[in-house]
Amino acid sequence: MLRWIMNSHQVSEFEGVALVHLDLLYRAALRLTHNRAEAEDLVQETWLRALRHFDRFDPGSNCRAWLLTILRNAFLNRLRREGREILKSDMVADGSGAARFDEASLTHSSPEESFFQTVLHGDVDRALKTLPLPFRIVVMLADLEGLTYKEVAEVLGCPIGTVMSRLSRARQLLRRELVALAREHGYSKESR
Amino acid sequence: MNCREFDARLHAFVDGELDAGGMADALAHVSACPDCHERADGERRLRQLLLRQPRETAPPEFRARMLALARRERMRKKVRAWAGAPALAAAALLLVFVLIARSLSTGGHEPELVQSLVDKHLAFAQLEGPAEFSSTERAAVAAWFRQRAGLRVTVPDLSSAGIQLVGARIADADQRKVAYLLYEKGRVLMSVFMVPEVGGRTPLAGRPMSFRGQEYLAQESHGLRTVSWRDGQALFSLVSTLDYSALLECAEQLRAERAREARL
Repeated sequence: MLRWIMNSHQVSEFEGVALVHLDLLYRAALRLTHNRAEAEDLVQETWLRALRHFDRFDPGSNCRAWLLTILRNAFLNRLRREGREILKSDMVADGSGAARFDEASLTHSSPEESFFQTVLHGDVDRALKTLPLPFRIVVMLADLEGLTYKEVAEVLGCPIGTVMSRLSRARQLLRRELVALAREHGYSKESR
Repeated sequence: MNCREFDARLHAFVDGELDAGGMADALAHVSACPDCHERADGERRLRQLLLRQPRETAPPEFRARMLALARRERMRKKVRAWAGAPALAAAALLLVFVLIARSLSTGGHEPELVQSLVDKHLAFAQLEGPAEFSSTERAAVAAWFRQRAGLRVTVPDLSSAGIQLVGARIADADQRKVAYLLYEKGRVLMSVFMVPEVGGRTPLAGRPMSFRGQEYLAQESHGLRTVSWRDGQALFSLVSTLDYSALLECAEQLRAERAREARL
């Protein structure tokens, strides 16, 4: 009896707690799959898993990180099932580590910056798609959705230090890609 | 803090992730070092650009579907909890709910696969255009499966039973890719799932049912009937509110066409 009351209470709580994150899950799934039907299927799988394991969710903990963790795992499982190579790019992510301190990274900056004003609609998506998966995920979580480092670490199941190094590398790659796209659109330093 | 130390903290600085002491040190450094100041500004601009990206929202009908799934799961959990209610509950009361649990076919030991197929059917039955690939052409649908997922799928002709092909989807269920055909009889949707067997034999839910010399597993829950069977290296499941005789006819047709294709 008591258990039933708790259960029913829990599930109604699920809707209350999780529904506000549905858009976030949907966006994340879209960015991972690049396909609406697949994204919906992925979110549905995530949603059902979350529903069924909601009793394991600690109400005091972070719901969006918990849901995103489930989504990420479900997505990686799909990739593995399809035999797509993900482990290699995961290793790249941690092996190459941070954008290391060197002269090049110190001097790369300023003259390119104003191109950010000229980035076209859709460029960010295009640039993002070229990033290896671990980098794409970290940018998506930290930059597009505004998760804290701690939340990102929870979703990825890695230390905060790894989040920082991966994020720094990811932004570097993304910037390079955006610059290339801006050049394609005819922006150059001279035309400023 | 020198430039090297600042560089290691650049992103945490821009993201506001440094502790108070670290933040004060970093601020002191950028106010004194134009290069690092410029770099931090550059990172900040990139971050702002990313934050400015349009934020898509889930389509309303998808949201409604997820809400419906949550409600359905709540029903199921209620029944399950009653079925396993502690011994202090009156025996008669327990029996009543065990019976209900049975009739709704939501026992805790039920294999996951058929239930997840029923969930898919339910989720998509509420949609206006449930198919990912819409077509009434059997050949086109078969070709779509081949191209999209490398799946060889038999697309049966059920028109003699007044059941029309409307399209197809590829879904994930129980950790694998599932070919999903959608048919309609009037306004009633029927889902035909083909699930490749991987590894061991996946248990199928339902009670045994025999139809024209073939064996099936049938089950009913919330007015939805499923007819499932195993055929070679694949599992098949039909899900619909149509009655068993209609589903079994369709199942037989599909089996016959598969046998014919296998002979070719």
